[in-house]
Amino acid sequence: MLVVDHIQRSFGSVRALRDVAFTIPKGETFGLLGPNGAGKTTTMRTILGIYQPDSGRVTWDGAAIGDEQRRRFGYLPEERGIYGKLTVLDQLIYFGRLHGMDEPAARVNATAWLDRLEIAQYAKRPTSELSKGNQQKVQVACAAVHGPELLILDEPFSGLDPVNANILLAALQWLQERGTTLVLSSHQMYQIESLCTRFCIIAAGEVRASGTLAELRSAWPTRELVVAPNDAALRTILDAVPGAHAHARASANGSLAYDVPRTEPLPPLLRSLVAAGPVDRFEAREPSLNDIYLRAIGEPA
Amino acid sequence: MNLNLLAVVFQAEFLRKVRSRPYLIGTIIGVLGIFAFTSLPVLLTRFIGGSDHSLVLVGPPPITAAVTQLVRGDYKIVDTLPEMTEKPSIAFLDAHHGAAAVVVLARDAKGLHATAYARDAGAWGNSFRRDLAPLNVQYATNLTAARITALLDVPVVVKSLDAKFADERSAGAARGVATLLVFLLYMSIILNAQSVMSSVAEEKTSRIAELLVATVSPAQLLAGKIFAAGAAGTIQLALWCITGIYTGQTLVGLTSGTASAASMATPALGAIPITAGQGVAFVLFFLVGFIQYATMYAAAASLINRTEDLGSVTVPLVLPVVGGFLVAQFALVQPNAPSVQIISQVPLLAPFVMFTRIAIASVPLWQIVLSLLVNIVATVAIVYAAGKVYRVGLLMYGKMPSLKQVIATIRA
Repeated sequence: MLVVDHIQRSFGSVRALRDVAFTIPKGETFGLLGPNGAGKTTTMRTILGIYQPDSGRVTWDGAAIGDEQRRRFGYLPEERGIYGKLTVLDQLIYFGRLHGMDEPAARVNATAWLDRLEIAQYAKRPTSELSKGNQQKVQVACAAVHGPELLILDEPFSGLDPVNANILLAALQWLQERGTTLVLSSHQMYQIESLCTRFCIIAAGEVRASGTLAELRSAWPTRELVVAPNDAALRTILDAVPGAHAHARASANGSLAYDVPRTEPLPPLLRSLVAAGPVDRFEAREPSLNDIYLRAIGEPA
Repeated sequence: MNLNLLAVVFQAEFLRKVRSRPYLIGTIIGVLGIFAFTSLPVLLTRFIGGSDHSLVLVGPPPITAAVTQLVRGDYKIVDTLPEMTEKPSIAFLDAHHGAAAVVVLARDAKGLHATAYARDAGAWGNSFRRDLAPLNVQYATNLTAARITALLDVPVVVKSLDAKFADERSAGAARGVATLLVFLLYMSIILNAQSVMSSVAEEKTSRIAELLVATVSPAQLLAGKIFAAGAAGTIQLALWCITGIYTGQTLVGLTSGTASAASMATPALGAIPITAGQGVAFVLFFLVGFIQYATMYAAAASLINRTEDLGSVTVPLVLPVVGGFLVAQFALVQPNAPSVQIISQVPLLAPFVMFTRIAIASVPLWQIVLSLLVNIVATVAIVYAAGKVYRVGLLMYGKMPSLKQVIATIRA
């Protein structure tokens, strides 16, 4: 289990992290979300022991992060880096060995990862000769070649075309099945939502929301209610619901859209609407991760 | 520090270094350069120089015979003629074994005089004038040529009071070798420290540094790089020294029949009387100097964002290397001058200056020990400060930090 226990970190007068705390059970896939400059990279670097927190602590299986823990971690930084002159295979073997593997075992794992990411044909080529997307896959393989217990991936999908994004997605799902704990940061909400089991939204160095998607949704104060047709009688009933207000977004195809308090019981409301006139559509929508994210960071959802 | 990780970084860095084109080219050019430095004077003298010193003598046979005896060793007489039957010309010289000059000798009441018609008036002649002097004296005094030659050669024996060298000849030999060694030290420190710098710059600019420090601590990374470059540098230095020793010895053997050529040969490195302790000091000063410069270069390289910025951060670091090398040149002449003695204790300069002094003079043991201690302490301080800059600089992107910020980082 990874425990990020109320860490704070400043750089000069800039407070990059303010009391950041979350817990990731083993085998979970954790989405770390936040706008640029929110403190995601600093959080990741602190988990990896690259930065020491000014206060608070990070533990893995109850132990503080040291060399022994770091060898069982893998990391894909947002700013990618490779040794351009090294061959793809040699690069992977080197990173495997840096994580404590012997050369033959590193070679076996490296070859398996090249196959998994469909870049085996480039094994003997200098990495600089590969396309940007393939270089990125090499970097993912570098981070995962040693079979880490915890793999931290900062924006793993950025720069990948849909085909390569799917290959990476499949590789990450393979890691999930093996019980690898994953920490992902991404702005691609669809991929994050489909992969992650827990989330943490961070902004201005502090945690704004965290938990499973269900937990995040349950904390959301309203639900979006879509009702059709766009009828005056139906609108009157919806306007009368305490705390409800017409959704800021214009409803398409002649329906009504309202944000209603989560506490409002839906069956009586539906009965009232049906009594007032024909109801073609009655749909209660849960907020999307994107809605929750935008709201958490202070942007209108 | 995890030694296994250090070994992995060392191995990777070492192989990358010794397989790199600049290292291979530098090593080969060094070997060729040393070969040229040690052998060219001899080869030129033996195989090419002969034609510049071949003469045709013209004059009465007794005079030409006497002159032939006197100039033997410095000049090769390719022909002697009793008189000049044609006007001296290049064609005449070409017709006489391609001689460098034809010298017309005559004797009158004032004594011997000679007129030389040379291909190149400036290329020869000084020693000819000196060689002829005994003959002139012989004509005036009737002493034998051998007696005159002996009289003109006043034996001045220089006995060195410095216990290191028995005479001026071995001191001169040591000076020649020390010049070569200091140059090798300078090249080795500069090249290998710069290779550490390039490696750091590559990892910083390619952004792989962050990936590395997630696994390896910056200290392990830097230590692995420096040890690898140090090992590669030591191999390079050893190859250069072996080349110097081998060519020096071979050529001395090759030219032993020719006195002047043998005297021009660079003496074999083995000719320097270095004790085991001094040999260890040589190695230590190389290592200390290399570590001092390599860590500073690495710290400087960690501050840049683009390889184009390397020049601006390394110029201040080149100055002490060049300064040390220049002071070492002065130390070759005045190894025990007070200023040289002081500078041989100063970190960054000492590796060059003390190195030179040990090679050519008797340096009190306490000075060597003190210099080593001062430099080892300085190296620890430099490694500590440079390590801090490196650790912070490696993950610092954006605007390059000012000197004030770098100092603040060291003091933090």
